[in-house]
Amino acid sequence: MFNITLIILFFQNTRKTLFSNFLNTIISLIFIIVINLICFKAFGWLIHNANWKVITSNLPLYAFGSFPPAEQWRPATWIFSLLSLSIITLFGPEWKWLRKNLLIAWAGTIPLGLYLLYGGIGISPIMSRHFGGLTLSILLTTCSSLFSLPLGIILALCRQSSLPLIRKLSSIYIDVMRAVPLISVLFFGQLLIPLFMPVGIEIDRVWRAIFAFTLFVSAYIAEDIRGGLQSIPSTQIEAASSLGLNKYQIIQFILIPQALRIALPALTNQSIGLFQNTSLMAILGLVELLGVGRSILANPEFIGQYIEVYIWLACVYWFVCTIMAVLARHLEQRMKINQANF
Amino acid sequence: MNPIVIAKNLTKSYTKGLRALDNVSLTVNQGKVLVVMGPSGSGKSTLIRTFNGLETFDRGELNVLGINIEPNHDERKIQKIRRRVGMVFQQFNLFPHLSILENITLAPVHVQKRSQIEAEDYGMYLLSQMGIDSHAKKYPSQLSGGEQQRVAIARALALKPELLLFDEPTSALDPERINEVLDAMRRLAEQGMTMIVVTHEIGFAKDVSDQVLFMDSGKVIETSTPEIFFSNAQHERSRKFLNQLDKQ
Amino acid sequence: MKSSRKIFVQFVICMIFFSVIGILVNNLTVNLIRTGLGFNFNWLIKPASFALAEYPLPYSPSDSYAWALFIGWLNSLKVIISSLLVSTLLGTIIGFARTGKNSLLSFLSAGYITIIRQTPLLLQLMFWYFVGFLGLKDDMSIHIKDIFKISNQGIELSVFTLTSEFSALLLGLSIFTSAYIAEVIRGGILSVPRGQWEAFRSLGVSERKGLISIIIPQALPAIIPGLTSQYLNLAKNSTLAIAVGYSDIYAINDTIINQTGRAIECFMILLTSFLVLNLLISNSMEIINRIIINARKYN
Repeated sequence: MFNITLIILFFQNTRKTLFSNFLNTIISLIFIIVINLICFKAFGWLIHNANWKVITSNLPLYAFGSFPPAEQWRPATWIFSLLSLSIITLFGPEWKWLRKNLLIAWAGTIPLGLYLLYGGIGISPIMSRHFGGLTLSILLTTCSSLFSLPLGIILALCRQSSLPLIRKLSSIYIDVMRAVPLISVLFFGQLLIPLFMPVGIEIDRVWRAIFAFTLFVSAYIAEDIRGGLQSIPSTQIEAASSLGLNKYQIIQFILIPQALRIALPALTNQSIGLFQNTSLMAILGLVELLGVGRSILANPEFIGQYIEVYIWLACVYWFVCTIMAVLARHLEQRMKINQANF
Repeated sequence: MNPIVIAKNLTKSYTKGLRALDNVSLTVNQGKVLVVMGPSGSGKSTLIRTFNGLETFDRGELNVLGINIEPNHDERKIQKIRRRVGMVFQQFNLFPHLSILENITLAPVHVQKRSQIEAEDYGMYLLSQMGIDSHAKKYPSQLSGGEQQRVAIARALALKPELLLFDEPTSALDPERINEVLDAMRRLAEQGMTMIVVTHEIGFAKDVSDQVLFMDSGKVIETSTPEIFFSNAQHERSRKFLNQLDKQ
Repeated sequence: MKSSRKIFVQFVICMIFFSVIGILVNNLTVNLIRTGLGFNFNWLIKPASFALAEYPLPYSPSDSYAWALFIGWLNSLKVIISSLLVSTLLGTIIGFARTGKNSLLSFLSAGYITIIRQTPLLLQLMFWYFVGFLGLKDDMSIHIKDIFKISNQGIELSVFTLTSEFSALLLGLSIFTSAYIAEVIRGGILSVPRGQWEAFRSLGVSERKGLISIIIPQALPAIIPGLTSQYLNLAKNSTLAIAVGYSDIYAINDTIINQTGRAIECFMILLTSFLVLNLLISNSMEIINRIIINARKYN
């Protein structure tokens, strides 16, 4: 009985939304036919023509790049810990001690990753030119986000400063960075950072990239945080200053925490964008996820298998971005509980 | 008698010669309650906000808790006064990202450098005085307006102030929530707190205040005891204002 | 803070700032001397001696670097303006489909938007170029009589031909930007209060007429700023042209740096070119904005 009413409801609903009038009916029908054709073709290709060996036989390459095979457990451990932290954050139990320590655990993943990748005490050191694949993309994303957040906050505060010189300098920086394309910042970061360093000091390519990403993203983060700062009502500052808090205490305890909360959705978009943009390093000499794809396609064994590789890469990027977006929404929901009606 | 606030000929004008304060003089002694009344835009909020430096003034003399405030004051100097003067706002102005208890302990810990434990103990004591200690771990948005305003009073008390300023504390509340806040203020007055209250609540002014100050367009029209002001106001404008309040 | 203190603090910051700059410039000069490069723009008038695949104005390798850069800038402008038009058209259609009543269309456009937005633009560009155009075999082509033809040589229309590099870039940029524009359009439409829809429906105005004369004019003020920032992003994203081998301003700068090693000068040139491009876009959008506001006033 239940099923029949459900089916009737479904048909009524489709009639209302798909076939409400003549034009709508035609559009719907055309689209249904086209989608069917595309799906038919695509499935046919996926089953008969696609050769997934280009993916399956290169999985370690996509994940770790040219990291020495004997040491690949290290980046694997790191990625696995990130993944399991995400799962615990999203689906884990609501124990208080767990929720309190999750933030510390997340903050700890970056030093853990650097230790596991670079090696050092107890494990053999590895040069950064062996980093690659998804590991490198994630490393670039996490380190650059970590550094650009404080820099962005400082820039945003400077742009609001009462000292005209500081205000001017930081707005020039922010505006120039936002006016130029990311690829030029990354390219010139690779080229120019060595030129600005004293003779004898060298920074490896990975850190040059992280530096350039940080310079670029912090300008965007600064604008997001400035938006957050501007939407804090001035009565909050009045209340804080009538409690005797000084200017720096107001910034530290009242303005920054609230601005970060307000800017949170924009900030998570920035870090998702940052993860996608790490792909630009593929044309600037780092072998991150897309770079691995390119080098595999250059291998005579797999030549011409563009579709398989690109679809696979798109799926990986899509998957990681989606995890990031879901985590961000989770964080926003938790914050909303203690967000007041201003 | 120990004067807490002495103001002489305070004058503040906005552009185009519009005066927010026009030669305002008053004295509030220790342990007394002054109620400031007047139509909206009469300058009463501006007046009490000058007492803790949220507003500046152009001319006149102002002495709060024995410290002179100059017309264009220095932020640092005003902080000494703000640590000893509590303020309660019309819109509560609680910090939305902090829990109730954190709202209260913020200033004692960071301004007076008291220990976290001591500040929390005293904060819980204040909350229980206000009858809202069960909400200590909640956030402002989870509380009703009346509860939020009582938290705001507790927050102002946490610095053990010698003077409390109230800027229309009940105007933003639902009518059925007003009394819980007024009761808390009554208890404070009974304990001997010096208070300056901007309000339209006639009942509160009659019962609690020692003096009523009536302002209109920046001028002090009348200063009387509540008995005289509410039964036999001396000035035509005061009577008109009271009539209008009665009608509402 | 007192003004004397303010001036002092600013002076100190100024000193710190300029000493940092000074150290960096010092390092730079040392390094430039070491590598044998000075800082000047004299090389701009020397012959470029590299060939370009496409040039809207006459160009040959014997022309100067400056002329090559200008050609690159024009190439950038060409691809930006054409993608801007195509993506606006596509984004508007998808944005309306997303908000419309037809649930199939709405579902499809939501899927389109997430897939496009959650994958990197560079990957999409490479996909269109290597799969969409170069992937076509020599004998394969899609054509409608002689008017329209897609092959691995690009897109041929009866009047003009687009190279496969340009077409892939145009396609990739337009599709990528259209997903963002669709969200801007959707946000704009949703910003019009529901009461406005109910009002014109209750007056018996048809759905299409109401949309054109009631909803869109009210949505435009919310849409224009969003569009402007998407157009600016489009301009910046167009520099990914280098991945498909289209010679835009960035690609030409890249070539020149490889030839001459003049990184700092080229960075300045690139910065200036983009400032001009940004000003062009934001000023034209400002003019459009003003036209819309005026049109609303006189109606």
